[in-house]
Amino acid sequence: MATHIVMDRNGDSRHTFDAKDTAALLKAERRFHELMKGGYTAAVRSATGQPTVIRNFDPKAEETLFFPRLVGG
Amino acid sequence: MAGRFTRRLAAIGRRAHVRWKRFRKYGFLSDNEARGQVLLREWLSPGQLAQYDEHGYFDVTGCQSGKRYRIREGVGMNVYELDAFGGALGGWCFVPKDNLVAGDVMLAQKIALETSEQIALLVARRFPARWTRHP
Repeated sequence: MATHIVMDRNGDSRHTFDAKDTAALLKAERRFHELMKGGYTAAVRSATGQPTVIRNFDPKAEETLFFPRLVGG
Repeated sequence: MAGRFTRRLAAIGRRAHVRWKRFRKYGFLSDNEARGQVLLREWLSPGQLAQYDEHGYFDVTGCQSGKRYRIREGVGMNVYELDAFGGALGGWCFVPKDNLVAGDVMLAQKIALETSEQIALLVARRFPARWTRHP
């Protein structure tokens, strides 16, 4: 199972989906693009734990983290 | 009858144990704050996690400049650029647009500095460091 983790006021919301299920994958891809349009940044972790920012939906990513646009405080 | 009572008692005991474990780990944090802490801990490197557990802050290396930054517990004005001796050169304030809990804010700052340092610093506002040596 793959997971999209979206940071929000509740800490985060987790959306799990089966990457082998075409319908679930399409829904996840739609979610990815909607969040990116909303200004979110998407990041995945490598095997060593190093984060990488991604700009395109990665159907093989086990865990994708989304956080809102950064602004100066 | 006795079996049902024992099962109910065991369930109460299990719930109390979970709450006690959570309290020992996160104290009086709300559920949201605790969730943010769990997520942050999942994404910190082993070295950063050890440092965070010991000191309440962790250091990250900027992906483009190689500079070191210290991210302290907080939701704003909590990122400091470090000199070679670990003293603070100055602060950088940048936060996610939405109101997020501290763990989420610190994690977003860590990822931003480790993956797109210049973009993070472009939006950030500088502020003077409140400490210089041995925080």
